[in-house]
Amino acid sequence: MSTVTLQHETDTEWRQPAKGTVAMITLIIAESAIFTIFVVAYLYYIGRDVHGPTPKQVLEIPWANSVCLLSSSLFIMLAEHAIAHGKMAAFKLWWAVTFLLGLIFLVGTGVEWKKLIFEDHLTISTNLFGTTYYSLVGLHAFHVIVGLLLMLVVLVLALLGFVEKKHAERVKTLALYWHFVDVVWIVVFTVVYVVGR
Amino acid sequence: MGSQTYPVAGGLQTETAPSRHGYLEEIHSWIVTVDHKKLGIMYIVYALLFLVIGGLEAILMRIQLAAPGLHFLEPQTFNRMFTMHGTTMVFLVGMMILFGFGNYLVPLMIGARDMAFPRLNAFSFWMSALAGILLYFSFIGGNGLAGTGTAPDMGWFAYAPLTEKAFSPGHTTDYWTIALLANGIGSIGTSINILATVFCMRTKGMTLMRMPMLPWLYATMSFLTLLAISPLTAAQAMLMIDRYLGGHFFDTQAGGSAILWAHFFWIFGHPEVYVLVLPAFGMASEIIPVFSRKAIFGYPAMVAASVSIGFISLGVWAHHMFTIGLTSYGNAFFTLSTMLVGVPTGIKLFNWLATLWGGKIQYRPPMMFAAAYLIQFLIAGLTGIMLSVSAWDWQLHNSYFVVAHFHYVLVGAIVFMLFSALYYWYPKMTGRMLDEKLAKWHFWLFLIGFHLTFDLMHIPGLLGMPRWIYTYEADRGWGTLNLLISIGGVIQGIAVLIFVYNMVHSYFKGELAGPDPWDAWTLEWATASPPPSYNFATDPVVGSRRPLWDLKHPDDPDSAFE
Amino acid sequence: MNESVHNVSVEPGAEHAPHAVHLPAPTAWPILLALGLMLVFASLLMNPMLGVLGGVLSLVSAVGWFRDVLPAEKHVDIPTTEEEIAHVPQYDRVAKFAITEEHRALLPQHSFSIASGVLGGIIGGIAMVIPAEIYGVMRYHSIWYVVNLLGGAGIGDWINPTPEQLTHFRLGAFVIANMIQGVTTLLVGVLYGALLPAFPKRPILLGGILAPALWTGLLYSVIGLVNPFLQARIDWLSFAASQVVFGVVAGYVVMKHGQIKELSTMPLAVRMGVEASGLHHHDSDGGNH
Repeated sequence: MSTVTLQHETDTEWRQPAKGTVAMITLIIAESAIFTIFVVAYLYYIGRDVHGPTPKQVLEIPWANSVCLLSSSLFIMLAEHAIAHGKMAAFKLWWAVTFLLGLIFLVGTGVEWKKLIFEDHLTISTNLFGTTYYSLVGLHAFHVIVGLLLMLVVLVLALLGFVEKKHAERVKTLALYWHFVDVVWIVVFTVVYVVGR
Repeated sequence: MGSQTYPVAGGLQTETAPSRHGYLEEIHSWIVTVDHKKLGIMYIVYALLFLVIGGLEAILMRIQLAAPGLHFLEPQTFNRMFTMHGTTMVFLVGMMILFGFGNYLVPLMIGARDMAFPRLNAFSFWMSALAGILLYFSFIGGNGLAGTGTAPDMGWFAYAPLTEKAFSPGHTTDYWTIALLANGIGSIGTSINILATVFCMRTKGMTLMRMPMLPWLYATMSFLTLLAISPLTAAQAMLMIDRYLGGHFFDTQAGGSAILWAHFFWIFGHPEVYVLVLPAFGMASEIIPVFSRKAIFGYPAMVAASVSIGFISLGVWAHHMFTIGLTSYGNAFFTLSTMLVGVPTGIKLFNWLATLWGGKIQYRPPMMFAAAYLIQFLIAGLTGIMLSVSAWDWQLHNSYFVVAHFHYVLVGAIVFMLFSALYYWYPKMTGRMLDEKLAKWHFWLFLIGFHLTFDLMHIPGLLGMPRWIYTYEADRGWGTLNLLISIGGVIQGIAVLIFVYNMVHSYFKGELAGPDPWDAWTLEWATASPPPSYNFATDPVVGSRRPLWDLKHPDDPDSAFE
Repeated sequence: MNESVHNVSVEPGAEHAPHAVHLPAPTAWPILLALGLMLVFASLLMNPMLGVLGGVLSLVSAVGWFRDVLPAEKHVDIPTTEEEIAHVPQYDRVAKFAITEEHRALLPQHSFSIASGVLGGIIGGIAMVIPAEIYGVMRYHSIWYVVNLLGGAGIGDWINPTPEQLTHFRLGAFVIANMIQGVTTLLVGVLYGALLPAFPKRPILLGGILAPALWTGLLYSVIGLVNPFLQARIDWLSFAASQVVFGVVAGYVVMKHGQIKELSTMPLAVRMGVEASGLHHHDSDGGNH
């Protein structure tokens, strides 16, 4: 055992950032790099297909979907605010709303894909557009699924009464992830439905 | 040795060998451990195991190339050897051993009890480790050992479209892709962990600018890993989409681009070199001051240089691709950005020299390797500047000159520094010193072997010998040089075996080290060797960059000059 | 920070150590989760049934892991042993440099402000455009000729343009010319800021005429090797004139803002910040005021 007993400046408060937040931010950095590569590939391959279908022929802008997902960021902020102030009922409500909005987005994407696959006969192996579109949007959808699963766990625990005010920090960390998923959707939306169309 | 420290009241009594009857529990305790020190040691041992395997692959290749026209290996096997050698050395040796040291040292140096996320740490290790085993399972998968199974054979950077289903049927490419994907998950987990540890777990008084250099460099390295491994993960995912789902990312016949793969791979590949070398910088910055008996020269400049190397290295990847045919803007940009790396690197070299300058240099084994590292790293950097000139690179791209250059970095700088670090921290990890006589044999044999191999390897490159060739004709005049290169390789192999013997021998018979055998100044030497599982019974409080100096010299503490 | 220097305490155990330390409990879930995921990966290479096994294992491990950390992290208490490691002070161990004439332990008395150099570089860089432009307008009736000549080197696909082409505006050349001009004049300005105040006499002569003449000569002799085309197009007289204008203007601005007056009476080595033994002891004491 050792005792390093240097007694300096013991009065000053020693503050460091929360490790959960730092970990989430670094994870977001890594995820951003992954998305960047997929976005670059998408942009690079726009218009390079040797045969159709092209984005212009088959893609429709998913307005309703996007509004749902982006507004969910707002509701999760309300939830963060509620739990930070110990208003557990409000927290449960806003958290459930967020979860539902995310779920609507996911279902919307599913409907869109169903139409593309069965009506437009566009699959991941059809052409470059299919490959890049399904992988980029799919990668984002995968992150939505992960987010939804985590939120569902919190929701169930909250409804069972296990989530308390002291968990505000962890909820905030999870919310950070959800904000990231939303921001990525803005990028994906711009690239796929605005630039790519 | 150790004459300046006074361990009192049984500081050495932690040196009790695990009793024989409990060896099953001992193994179990290693498997379920979340202790950063045990995980660190497992990383290191795992990496050393693969160092020997990867080295064996290199020696097989060198035997094949020792003389013109040999048929020691099958051509197909030769391809598998250089692919597996590269992949093993980068992912299973380099990354693993550096993460091992990071795991072991970073919490100790910043005075923490463990990493920020101990369970994630264990998960990351097992993920990376099992991925390596999956990769090597390819040797016995497929058609069995005789044809070396389905081991990857397309080169460690797996250029498209060779990796597409039409050209690489079977699972050779998939083993490589999937194993690296899984390995990458572990690397990203550990990087996040190191960053969170460095930023959130420092002991009281240890501000960022009081942190030792090593945690600084590990933070930079981890940040770079996040930005480097993630693109690789993305590219691997794309390749898997191509191969499993019939996608067209790199399928040139459907409009896909082979060049895009090259870009994606090198966006990973170049920062990866810095991921490997930055921790070596950190180790040098810890070891050189201790054996010069001086504080590191220009600490803030060293920190700034380290971080800026990290940033610049993100913008140099296409210097691996000059011959692919970039625009002249591209050539100019990547030539200049590559040369720019020389500036912070130069700052670091000069600061190390200034640390040595006027110091009382002690040539103990760690310092011997560190001194060789300084010179070899300089030479490696200089050939790097040569290759950064695109016109020069057009001439020498994919020749043995390039092979010699990057092995000079990877072996001459990084492996030498790793040996130095092993000699330096082995007493901390095991409580016993490594044998110094064997260390000298190891050092001189390895040095001679290294220079025989890699100095000479530049020459066949200049004479036009391309890399990856299975054999060559006698009239090329490369025979003698290649024979000498191969002999050098064998000498290095012998040196490594001496080292392995030394590690095992000293573990049982080595001289007891005591808590602080080198009279060093960072916090890991403030606790017993090996440290108890809780590292520090009382959280240390530091007031300067060299807390142990302050303890040993209360009349002249560093904290007085901050 | 400094006031706390003197109460460095080294008595072992001054702060009483706790008898047990909380550490996270060992757990098998991480390795099982890794194994499960690896089986899923392996199922892509071997038998798909492995994936089912791996999936189940991963799920079970994930739940197990979750229950390890929530609601409360599992801990073990490790008793601390009673050993002490003390680092005994070594008052006699440190060799100190006595500041004698043989040791260099002096710091430079002044460091020159970078600002004066930056300012000189900017103003000089603007001023030097004038003679060059005069030449360009008189000879080729275009203000873009000189710009294109400087910036054209950076445009890869502009191969051997005619003088006619050089007289027309080209955005790429304009941007690159500005970058080259800006960076070079700024760096030389900073160099002037650092060096000129150190010279005792006629800094304008040195920085304004001698130095530009030297580097113009250097460029004149090597540019044929580096870029023969450029050599054929450069008018060396106006080029040299521009350099001298830069030197004079930058030098003047630097001297105006620099600290030459306070320093000019000191020996050269002191003014340059050289730490030389013996020097200060004899000379600088006398010449310091």
